[in-house]
Amino acid sequence: MNAPSSVIRRQVLDRVYAATRNAAGSVEQTVLPRDYIRRGALSAESRIELMIHRLREYDAEVTECAPEALPAVIVEQLKKSGRSIFAAPAGLPAEWLAPGFAWKVDRNLTTREIEEADGVVTACFCGVADSGTIVLHHTAAEGRRVLSLLPDWHLCILRASQVVETLPEYFSRCDQLPALVTRLVTWISGPSATADIEMTRIKGVHGPRFLHVILVRDQGAE
Amino acid sequence: MSQPAYHPVLDPAVAPPFPDAALPVLRNPQLRKNVAHAIDVIQTKRGRLVEEKADWQALRTAAAAIRTQALENLGAYLEEFEARCTAAGGVVHWAADAEGARRIILELLREENASEVIKIKTMTAAEIQLNPHLEAAGVKVFETDLAEIILQLGGDEPSHIVVPALHVNRSQVREIFARRMGIENLSDDPQALTAAARSYLRQKFLSVPTAIGGANFLIAETGSVAVVESEGNGRMCLTLPRTLITLAGIEKVLPRYQDLEVMLQVLARSATGERMNPYTSLWTGVTPGDGPQRFHIVLLDNGRSQILARQTERQTLRCIRCAACMNACPVYRQTGGHAYGSIYPGPIGAILTPQLMQMHHAQSLPYASSLCGACYEVCPVKINIPEVLIELRSQVTDQERKQLRRIFDPMYLGLRVANLLFSRAWLFHAAQRLGRMALGWFTGKDGWIHSLPGAGEKWTQTRDLRGMPKQTFHAWWAARRNAGGKEAR
Repeated sequence: MNAPSSVIRRQVLDRVYAATRNAAGSVEQTVLPRDYIRRGALSAESRIELMIHRLREYDAEVTECAPEALPAVIVEQLKKSGRSIFAAPAGLPAEWLAPGFAWKVDRNLTTREIEEADGVVTACFCGVADSGTIVLHHTAAEGRRVLSLLPDWHLCILRASQVVETLPEYFSRCDQLPALVTRLVTWISGPSATADIEMTRIKGVHGPRFLHVILVRDQGAE
Repeated sequence: MSQPAYHPVLDPAVAPPFPDAALPVLRNPQLRKNVAHAIDVIQTKRGRLVEEKADWQALRTAAAAIRTQALENLGAYLEEFEARCTAAGGVVHWAADAEGARRIILELLREENASEVIKIKTMTAAEIQLNPHLEAAGVKVFETDLAEIILQLGGDEPSHIVVPALHVNRSQVREIFARRMGIENLSDDPQALTAAARSYLRQKFLSVPTAIGGANFLIAETGSVAVVESEGNGRMCLTLPRTLITLAGIEKVLPRYQDLEVMLQVLARSATGERMNPYTSLWTGVTPGDGPQRFHIVLLDNGRSQILARQTERQTLRCIRCAACMNACPVYRQTGGHAYGSIYPGPIGAILTPQLMQMHHAQSLPYASSLCGACYEVCPVKINIPEVLIELRSQVTDQERKQLRRIFDPMYLGLRVANLLFSRAWLFHAAQRLGRMALGWFTGKDGWIHSLPGAGEKWTQTRDLRGMPKQTFHAWWAARRNAGGKEAR
């Protein structure tokens, strides 16, 4: 006869508490050593340069533009991609939905409908220059998780003001957010990749094979 | 040749001892070449990226402290995780052992009427031998990680915890894929092989409604789960199915969301030599409209609480499964992973496996190390593996000493004799003279001993032994003192 689940839960927890009864310190007493680099030292310009450099190392394509040029640059990128059907999060700014393309705006799109899109355009929460990482919190303009996953081509709009130098700086930015915002997070560092066969890095397994980033220079006057 | 000539046994309860299990690999030059190549590539990349990180040691210190804090307060953090995850719509299950975890998962699959599951690579599922049990219960398992597909279709076993198929080369992969996916004219170009895996799985991702995966981290503060990966198969499994079942060891908890700022920095660098792995996903219970609407997490003890109770061994549970220790290990480099007779190979396997087996099996593993310390040096959470190895060796010895059959075991007999000799100076000197005389008979003109009889053959069958010097240290010291302080040079 199998023990009921509440009994097993109690049993495991009791074992764990018993095992740590003589442990060194309680949570309140412990001061964690955090002597690692928290804030970056680069100038704003070098930080952006580093972000672009890292993205390109991952084989992501990066285009820079001024804020007012963004809609035109989106059109240009979509045209250059040679694709025609694009998915978009429900909260994507209307001026980003370039005319002349078939848009599937995500109002409860089915998986099949998203799968039929050739590409997707999303915003993001943050860019981390040190590792070339783009962070999505999957808000209305960033889209549901499936949206930036199934289409083979992902165009992400990243503003210079969203770029931090170090990963700890991203977490500092999260401190100012309500906790609910970080209930879904995806960190993207380049297109999907594998090195499972003889450690040869191959771009594109299951996630989007192509990552394009438009870096909007909204901090030019700084 | 694609099928391994032998089938590796990764169940520690029945696997042969390490020295025997290592032989098939040591005798297979192709396998050794594959392993060495893969390890060289990762090691070079890791070395470069750790070098450029000015605060690497500070990150290691912080990572070790975070993991230690999580373990020392594990009960409270587990309850906090459970409360937050439940509040967010997840269902938390507890399993005392492998059998319990399998039963829970099978029950959940029955409720889902699942005849197929897609699966993210998870060491913990391999630890409880989940796949064979699911198959036996009539559930078809589709591994989705490229390396796991290679192993599953090839009927092979993992030999590394991050790059499980590193012992298989491209032509072997080509042969497996061509045969099992029914593709003629498949080239052995990794690009083509990867594309074959992509199309093989695409429909499965879109149609199978149940996924099973693991967790890299559980966040107590938020009740979130994090999965770190490269290919996007993880994101597929975490996003598309209706139901997600996560299996995680109880030690996987981190206290705070912010702790990821340390762990994510050390994990990718240590594991694959990247600044960051392509994808990390974090989710919290169930989010309406986004991803699986049913989320179950099974928290597995399976011997972990017993490891937790022991002062020296507790650090074993800090492990974040990056595999840096095996990549750095001179023994693993020669033997590959299958020799360890467990899904956890390398130095971490040498300490983790016997402990998970509660020292009833895998007693040869604590000896599968030269104690060189390379594993400790690279470990991002500073697990002092040599220290734990020595502790476990003493436990194995204490066990064996009590066994009647060991009374005439040559090693224990020899050690008892040595104990006697070392306890009396005159006996020691007499034995030394005898030994030198005996070895003299076997020493060649070139000053080397090429072969010895009896137990000594174990040494000389693979290497030569230098002949004894003319003088012992004792004799030299005495002569030097008698010369009356005429210091040489």
